[in-house]
Amino acid sequence: MVRLNRVLLKDAGNAIDKTLSEILVCPLSKQPLRFCEKTKSLVSDTIGVSFPIKDGIPCLVPKDGKILEEEGDASKA
Amino acid sequence: MRRINSLYGRIGMLRRVPEESTKKSHTLLASLSFSTEGSYGGDGELQQNSSKVKIFDRDLKRIHRDRAAWLSRQKNDSFVDAVAENLLDRLEDCKKSFPTAFCLGGSLGAVKRLLRGRGGIEKLIMMDTSYDMIKSCRDAQEDSLDNSIETSYFVGDEEFLPVKESSVDLIISSLGLHWTNDLPGSMIQCKLALKPDGLFLAAILGGETLKELRIACTLAHMEREGGISPRLSPLAQVRDAGNLLTRAGFSLPGVDVDEYVVKYKSAMDLIEHLRAMGETNALLERNKILNRETALATAAIYDSMFATEDGTIPATFQVIYMTGWREHSSHPQAKRRGSATVSFTDLQKQFGGQS
Repeated sequence: MVRLNRVLLKDAGNAIDKTLSEILVCPLSKQPLRFCEKTKSLVSDTIGVSFPIKDGIPCLVPKDGKILEEEGDASKA
Repeated sequence: MRRINSLYGRIGMLRRVPEESTKKSHTLLASLSFSTEGSYGGDGELQQNSSKVKIFDRDLKRIHRDRAAWLSRQKNDSFVDAVAENLLDRLEDCKKSFPTAFCLGGSLGAVKRLLRGRGGIEKLIMMDTSYDMIKSCRDAQEDSLDNSIETSYFVGDEEFLPVKESSVDLIISSLGLHWTNDLPGSMIQCKLALKPDGLFLAAILGGETLKELRIACTLAHMEREGGISPRLSPLAQVRDAGNLLTRAGFSLPGVDVDEYVVKYKSAMDLIEHLRAMGETNALLERNKILNRETALATAAIYDSMFATEDGTIPATFQVIYMTGWREHSSHPQAKRRGSATVSFTDLQKQFGGQS
């Protein structure tokens, strides 16, 4: 099952679509988000938080965000 | 019967909040907050953005909405459809078309299904706090093969709107905003997200909603347990709705009210319906225990006090519809005081002096 999900993600390509990438900003700081290829998540650099993307749906609820300990690394959740 | 703190009660079979939801990633500091109280500074430590009173348990509400997504999968809810239809009808009254529309929580599925091309919408963006609800909307769209409107989905919180300023033409929220802790703050964020001359349409539940249930709950509790705990959320009054719109800064505000009376075979059916809509109790102050006797007493009192001739029981839902526009130079503005060029006596002479 996990393997199947990985295959689907690879085919998804750019994980969020164009409309969303133009409109979405960080819910807390209202600054633009950056799509991080490595963790497949949206990163808000101003406050150092990354928001996951589950099955092509970005989850921008503040509670779902992970704090990034250092530049470019996801902390253990 | 005196109501304590004017909090109305809504019975819900209260679920226990699972432990995982509180052990998830930390709540984050906010460096900016869009609220009417001014900004609440973050100073490098983790704290919740909570300069305002917290009334509702938002995490529990997400769980309710996850469950509602599963419960309302198969059948369409006629009450929710009626509200969505009324809301969407207002789009036909506007000459303007709205290419980008944003739909906030509440009854997403109904809004999407009943849209039928009104308002000239080309791109629809759907947002909800519950992941399952969004998934079920997306799956419903794929099943129906109706892809004329480009739809995008994401999960977000109405109190922290992750939408850029001046980016959407239309915001619709059907029965979603009455669960926000900070309604003025959410409405201000909605206004900021709108382009100039953009429209904000919302339907929220009003103070008269479920008054029969409130009375039955209070009576049963007083009898059985000798006290009352809040069971219904505090709901907006009609007079507050107008203030909310002006406070958020919308121009040309409009408010109107509609009352729907829904009939059920028994009080338990009412509770099932509330669960399927995701409208069960999520107050922070709620009593997490419900005695079986109290629940049965409530059902019995409801039946004896409010039953109709054919044995069904009615429940009132008061829906407040709010309309507001983001300012634009084309909107009529009131002229400045003292700048009148015509006096009333002139007008009277002009129109023939009929008294």
